[in-house]
Amino acid sequence: MADQKTQFLRFKGHRGFTQRLVLSTLTGKPIIIDEIRSNISSTHTGLAPHEVSFIRLLESVTNGSLFDLSRTSTRLAYQPGLITGTVPGVNASAAGDVIEHTIEERNTRGISYFLIPLALLAPFSKAHMNVRFSGPGVITSATHGTGDISVDTFRTAVLPLYGLFGIPPARIELRVLSRSCPGPHGVGGGGVVEMRFASQVRLPKTLHLNRRPGRIRRIRGVAYCTGVSASHNARMISAARGVLNPLVSDVHVAAQYDPAPLVGDTKTGGKKKIGIGFGLSLVAESSADGVLYAADVVAPPGGMVVPEDIGTQCAYQLLEVIAQGGCVSAASASTVLTLMAMGSEDVGRLRLGREVLGREETIKLARDLKTFGASSWGIREVDDEADETGDFIISVKGTGVGNVGRKVA
Amino acid sequence: ARQLHGKRRPYRATDLARYMYDEKMTPQDALKKWRGEEDLDEEMEENIEEDDDTFFHRSGKDADVETGEDRYIPRFDYKDLAAKWSAEDSLEMLRKRFATANLLDENDGG
Repeated sequence: MADQKTQFLRFKGHRGFTQRLVLSTLTGKPIIIDEIRSNISSTHTGLAPHEVSFIRLLESVTNGSLFDLSRTSTRLAYQPGLITGTVPGVNASAAGDVIEHTIEERNTRGISYFLIPLALLAPFSKAHMNVRFSGPGVITSATHGTGDISVDTFRTAVLPLYGLFGIPPARIELRVLSRSCPGPHGVGGGGVVEMRFASQVRLPKTLHLNRRPGRIRRIRGVAYCTGVSASHNARMISAARGVLNPLVSDVHVAAQYDPAPLVGDTKTGGKKKIGIGFGLSLVAESSADGVLYAADVVAPPGGMVVPEDIGTQCAYQLLEVIAQGGCVSAASASTVLTLMAMGSEDVGRLRLGREVLGREETIKLARDLKTFGASSWGIREVDDEADETGDFIISVKGTGVGNVGRKVA
Repeated sequence: ARQLHGKRRPYRATDLARYMYDEKMTPQDALKKWRGEEDLDEEMEENIEEDDDTFFHRSGKDADVETGEDRYIPRFDYKDLAAKWSAEDSLEMLRKRFATANLLDENDGG
C-alpha cells in the first residue's frame, strides 16, 4: 500500500476518460491524465461538463478518493478510494437509500455514458449501488452527435451480460422515471433514471463466449417518443419491421410515449419543455446464451427527419452489427472485456468480430488494461474450417481484483 | 489491388497482437496497418488533412469537440447501409445468421 501513494500511472489525452478512472478505481492504482484537450481548441480545453460530472459521481460512490485538477483542467491526478456504494447518512440521505446525482444542463452525453462505467464499479462495491440521476442534463435516449446508447439498449443488451459473470441481473434494476431526448443542439435533457445495483460479488468469474454466436432468434426493441406525437412510434416500428420481418418473424417492439419533461429555466425563472424527440432501440437475441446485438438510432436534435427513416436506419444498423459478427457488439465489448480482465484469475475467451476488435476504443482498452497491470490479450483467428466469418478469439486473463470491501467483511 | 501488393496479408491476428501493444503507434495507425489500408505516405497526407480539419473547427464558433470523443455506437453512413442491406445477395448472406423457419429452426443449440 505504501508505495502506491507515490507511483502514478500516466496517461495522455481525453479519450477513454471514464474507462481509465474506472480501471484506476478497481485496481486501486492512482493515475495522472495529462493533456486533456490541451490542443483541440482555445475555448474548450480541459474537462468537458460530462467528465466533471463523472468525477463528481465517482467521488460520491467512493470513500477517500482524491482528485487534483490543474488550473486549466487539462491535468487530472486521481487517487482512488474504496468503492463504498450507497451508505445512508453519508452519501445518501438518512431516510432514502439512493445517491442523488444531478447532471448539469450543459451535458451532451447520454445517460449511458455514466451508467456503463458505474455498472462496472457496482459489482465491486461494498454496499448496494443505488444512484438516481436527475437534473437538467439527463438524456435517456441515444445521442446523435456523441454516439451513446439509450437506456433501453443498456438495460436490454448490456445488463444481461452481467449474468454471465455470475453477477445476477435479477438484482440489477434500472428504472426510467422520466424520459428525455437531447435538448436543443444536443445539450441537456430532463430525464430521471435510477439504477439499483444490488448484486455485489466477491469476485466475478470469467466467461467463455468462444463458440458460435448462434442464430438470431428474435428481435426486441423499444420505440420512444417524448413530446412528439405518439404515432411516431408506430411509424418507426412499421418501418423497422419492413426491413426485419423477411429475416426473422419474431419481432416485437414496445412503444413508449411520454410527454416532454419540464425543467426550470434559469433565465426566465419559469419552466420549459426540453428533450423533445424520438428514437428506436433494437436488440437481436441469438440462440446462443448471452449473445445480443443492439442498435440505436435517435432523431437528431435539429429534427428534419421522418420516423420512417429512423426506423429503417435502426434496422439497417442492426443488420450491420449482426453482420459484424462475434459474440458481443461494439456497445458492450468494453464492459465484457473489462469485467473479464478484472475477474477471477482465469483465462476467459471471447469471440469478437473483426470490426469490433478493430475499433480504436478496443485497442485503447487493451493498452490501458496493460498499463494497469493486466496481462496482454491473446488474439487468434477462429480455427474452424466451416467458418468464414473472420472472427477472432480474444483470451483475457483476469487479474483477480475482486471486491476489496467484501474482503474485509 | 494495393492490399495484394503489400507484404502482409491484412487482418492477421499476430499482426494485431504486435501493433496493439506498440505504444509508438497511435491506435488509428495500428488499425490502418492491420487492415493493410495505407502505407506511410498516405498516412502522412491524411494527418495533414486532419490538421486542416481541426484548424477549421478551431475558427468555427462552436467547437466540434465531439469529433474525438469516445463513442459506443460506431458512426455509420446510413446511405451505404441502406444500399448494402437492400441488395438481395447481402441479405442472403446474412440469412444464415437467423433462425428463420427453415431447416435449422429447432436444432441450433449454438
